[in-house]
Amino acid sequence: MRWLTLYARARHVPASLAAVVLSAVAVWALAGDGGRGPGDPRLPVLALAAGAMAASTGLGGHDLALDRTAAIRWAPRRAAHVVLIGTAVCAALLAAQALGEDLATLAFVVRDGAGLAGLAAAGAAVCGARYAWTLPFGWLSFALFAPPPSGVPAQMATWMLVPPGTAAATWTAAVLAAAGTAAYALAGPRR
Amino acid sequence: MNVRVPATELRRSTAPWAGALVLGTALAFLYALGGGPWWRGTAAWTEQWTSMALWTRSLLVFLWPLAVGLGALQGLRDHRSRMTELLASTPRPAWHRGAAVAGTTALTLVSAYALLVLLGGVQVFANTSYGHAGWLPVSLVGAFALVAGAVLGMGAARALPSALTPPALAVAAFAVTVLCQPSPDEAVPTPLAPNRLSLLSPAAAQVREALLTLSASAHTGQALWLLGMAATGFALLTAVSRRARLLALTPVLAGAALALLVLPSDPRHTYVVDEAAAERVCDGPVCVTAMHQGRLADVAGPARRALRLLRTALGDGAPATVRESTALRGIGDTPERSSRTVLVDFDDGMIAGAKGEDLTRALIAQALAPACFARSDRESGITGELAAQSVAAGWVLGDLEPFGGTVHAADDQLALARPVWKRLTALPRAEQLARITAARDAALRCEGFTLDVLNGGATR
Repeated sequence: MRWLTLYARARHVPASLAAVVLSAVAVWALAGDGGRGPGDPRLPVLALAAGAMAASTGLGGHDLALDRTAAIRWAPRRAAHVVLIGTAVCAALLAAQALGEDLATLAFVVRDGAGLAGLAAAGAAVCGARYAWTLPFGWLSFALFAPPPSGVPAQMATWMLVPPGTAAATWTAAVLAAAGTAAYALAGPRR
Repeated sequence: MNVRVPATELRRSTAPWAGALVLGTALAFLYALGGGPWWRGTAAWTEQWTSMALWTRSLLVFLWPLAVGLGALQGLRDHRSRMTELLASTPRPAWHRGAAVAGTTALTLVSAYALLVLLGGVQVFANTSYGHAGWLPVSLVGAFALVAGAVLGMGAARALPSALTPPALAVAAFAVTVLCQPSPDEAVPTPLAPNRLSLLSPAAAQVREALLTLSASAHTGQALWLLGMAATGFALLTAVSRRARLLALTPVLAGAALALLVLPSDPRHTYVVDEAAAERVCDGPVCVTAMHQGRLADVAGPARRALRLLRTALGDGAPATVRESTALRGIGDTPERSSRTVLVDFDDGMIAGAKGEDLTRALIAQALAPACFARSDRESGITGELAAQSVAAGWVLGDLEPFGGTVHAADDQLALARPVWKRLTALPRAEQLARITAARDAALRCEGFTLDVLNGGATR
């Protein structure tokens, strides 16, 4: 318990959790206007991406060299951290949905939450925790402005926004989640 | 002036990254997604100066959040390297350092945006003969928006030095630009948010009507708002006391208040028709807009021939002029109609892609059976209407030919047109003329299907 408390404090968990909740609440408030139909996937994706990006800043500690000297197995702990990020981001949005407008289906939220959490973890492994958010941010902006998908490569590129049940998008999200989590668990955040 | 410090900043800060990323993502977006609407129609980004300026401005929808996020990353630097106290003890005003870092980032961002505009400009220069300076404010405000966003990011990260600040700012900016971008499907781009508020986002709408440009009041309001934003960012960047930080918020609030007073509240006063570009340039009875004056030489000959043939076929009821349509319309709206003039729309592939004889045929078709379902790069029109047009034009020219330049295959057009053509040509001449006239009246009023009228059926 003590280790968990210290870990959470070092990883900015309270601040990023507040950001996750805030983004879900903001999207819930925006959706309350009813300006967009429930078929518009942009708002829930924005909420999930904002949550994943906020949580990704905690994927590195204050002193990586010091972390590595600890006589504990980091890999499962890092993997659990990424899984928790995905869970928290999905849970926040689903809770906001339960209170108000229906924004997206459960399958959609789970697919995008898992994929974005994996993408954030990959970002931490590749660019370091401070810049981890650039990867989900870049892909999100690409997906939002790419022309409507036609064909499997385009569906893979815009996997965040295509309707749930599209095989190409589901697989892309699954691969991103698995690969990102594995890369971060094994390699750890880059300095 | 000591250039050593800015030169070091240029190499060692996020400034080069900011420039490279802005230019790189913009180019990747424009060129890698080759199927985008910015390559098609008369409002493509390489066709006209205003379209180029507005298309590059519409890219701010993701470039501006990028600039804000990168500025915030830069603003965290002193806190990250734990130099704040050391730097505060140096006998130099804080704004010297602020100016060095903000200035270099501004320089790279403006250079990147200018290169993007230059790349479009070179292609526009090759594509159009209509040059004007009315597009400059669009691009100047766009470049300034990038600078103001980056400086605001720096200041905000200095005021709230947390690793969460850059992603939070970037996502907030992104949500603003995405949710405030007007949809281009209406006759004038219309945002979902209230118009004044949506204009606080620097991203312009995507371009569908080449004649539309941003109004002067929109430029003024946005410039005021961005000035306030930049001033607040810089004040936050150089503020050392808590009171100074609170005072630093004044410019952005003042800028927002002034901007909301100046900005137009109505979308129709935000995107306005560029009167100079819409002016008529005529060669006898054939008129195009000044924007398309380069096409006049190609259009004039075939258009005169079409008018002559129509006069012979219809007599006094024939249209006397050919004119480019300048009416604004939303997606799916009925195009402008007139019985006295042949209205031409260069977004219609049937006319835009035709030359010489084919253009004469297309213009005759457009005069006798003007399309009710518009054709453009976003609207397909319907095959039946194209078939009716080919029958009508064939009646004047004496042979049935399908039209190219649309998504409808020639065989599909002929399959619908041939039976009608056979029945029509089997009739006596007077009845043929009566049917053509009836079909033309129906098409001008958009009542029923022109092909049915040509076929002798009553209008549905």
